[in-house]
Amino acid sequence: MSNVEKILSDPVGETATLAPKPKITAEGAGIRFGSIVAVEDFTTVIREREFVSIIGPSGCGKSTLLYAIAGFLKTTSGVLKVDGKPIVKPGPDRGIVFQEFVLFPWRTVLRNITLGPEIAGLPRAEAEERARKWIRLTGLGGFENAYPATLSGGMKQRVAIARALTCEPDILLLDEPFGALDVQTKNYVMKDLQDLWIAASKTILMVTHSVQEATLMADRVLILGARPSRIVADVRIDLPHPRDPLDQRLGRYRQEVTEILSAEVDRAMKGERGQ
Amino acid sequence: MTLDTAEIPRRRLPLPPMKLIRPVVSLGVLFGLWEIAARTGAISAFLFPPPSAIFAALWISAGPNGDPPYGILLDIALSLYRLLAGVGLALVLGTIIGLAIGLTGWGRAVFKPIISALMPIPTLAWTPVLLLVFGIDNRTTITVVFIAASFEIIYNVVTGIEMMTRKVYWVAASMGASRLQTLRYVVLPGILPYLITGLKLGVGYAWRALIAAEMLAASSHGLGFMIYDAQEYMDMKSIYGGILTISVMGLLIERGVIGALEKRTIEKWGVNVER
Ligand SMILES: Nc1ncnc2c1ncn2[C@@H]1O[C@H](COP(=O)(O)OP(=O)(O)OP(=O)(O)O)[C@@H](O)[C@H]1O
Ligand SMILES: [Mg+2]
Repeated sequence: MSNVEKILSDPVGETATLAPKPKITAEGAGIRFGSIVAVEDFTTVIREREFVSIIGPSGCGKSTLLYAIAGFLKTTSGVLKVDGKPIVKPGPDRGIVFQEFVLFPWRTVLRNITLGPEIAGLPRAEAEERARKWIRLTGLGGFENAYPATLSGGMKQRVAIARALTCEPDILLLDEPFGALDVQTKNYVMKDLQDLWIAASKTILMVTHSVQEATLMADRVLILGARPSRIVADVRIDLPHPRDPLDQRLGRYRQEVTEILSAEVDRAMKGERGQ
Repeated sequence: MTLDTAEIPRRRLPLPPMKLIRPVVSLGVLFGLWEIAARTGAISAFLFPPPSAIFAALWISAGPNGDPPYGILLDIALSLYRLLAGVGLALVLGTIIGLAIGLTGWGRAVFKPIISALMPIPTLAWTPVLLLVFGIDNRTTITVVFIAASFEIIYNVVTGIEMMTRKVYWVAASMGASRLQTLRYVVLPGILPYLITGLKLGVGYAWRALIAAEMLAASSHGLGFMIYDAQEYMDMKSIYGGILTISVMGLLIERGVIGALEKRTIEKWGVNVER
């Protein structure tokens, strides 16, 4: 059914505001390690091509949540679904970029990036063809034959992103991707990531500590509370992409998120002292 | 490890580097003093024949007029053959056992206690047993080499696996890698630096054990047997010639062969093995 037909057959006009399909669904998802509850009652819907940022105090279970969506860890309660199906194991439909990059030191930049297609059984030439696109878009051209040990933090970051994107995942999971970068490099890579997101049209879930990063890049910012964490606020950043960091309206969003976050940290600290 | 040599800046002088000059000078002085002492009668020329005479004897035994002709070359060839066969066996079986211990519960349960029990036994203590099993045969010395080289290889392979973070496996899993692909693309290259370290140490032990075992168990030829045989005839020049050859061959294997292997892998990758 074409869009026109849909609109014609939809007297109430719902299609005018038709949202993209849900990509990641969390229904009361919880993860515990023995007696430690890392994530509790996490419920949300992340739609196709949405850029969602997760922010929260240290140790509130952000990485754990990301690992569960990647399929590395199992939920101990509730469900996490991708495309309506419960997540049972990791797969190439979900690419992940770790804070520590986790590159393979014995492979060159190019070989790190082609590993995904190689594992998928693509011939080398084809794998390289695919990698070239992301090498260009991440600005890694000329570094194809370098070994990771010789790269700066910013370059390693780009390799990790290019490696994840070359697997052509629907969902990109980023765990504090700018943590290891200096401010200058960070600004560059952040700009790049926004462009990439626009070019690649992926669903992106990014964990961060930084209100500035979250508000600049994401459509929605999920604020997690202190452990055991649940979503304390879901802030929609209603500004077009790419965004200008100096935009006045962005400043207001930053303030809003900061206030909620500091109230949460205060509450957590008081709670700890009260114990 | 040996990686720090790469950081010494190259001198642009047309002289050979200090690294080469120093050992030549120090050994030259030693041999020079020895020569003078032996020639002047300060030390017994029978027990300590002058180096020039030792080299001359070596030279003759490497030619058609040796007794037997080309004797020393035969001894070298046979010792190297035993070393290569034993180390090759240790490399294959040691890696497999190391992988089993590092990656599987049953492997740990089966092999760990056995290895702990065998580890304190000096390799040569096996020679009487092997002599009864195989007789005076290459298999006896090859097995001694195998035992001497195995432990370091197994130990280092296990260490290599333990040093790998779970995130390395996660990256492979999120690319959809099967167990076999994970072994091939992640585990094997990941442990290679450790395997090389184990090989280096193992070959060192094996070379020493081989020479000793050849004295006890070889029916003919091999550097150890050559020395043993020369002692029967009180042929001091051949004894020293044999010792010298053992030293030079050991150095060549460790520096030349394993050094080249390190250059092509860990040094190229910029990986450092902590030990
Ligand atoms: N494998 C594990 N075993 C036991 N506890 C764990 C494990 N992994 C995480 N935790 C605990 O779960 C909680 C959440 O950890 P997690 O790493 O997800 O936090 P985070 O929000 O990512 O923190 P940060 O912002 O510091 O990275 C922490 O209290 C941590 O100690
Ligand atoms: Mg984290």
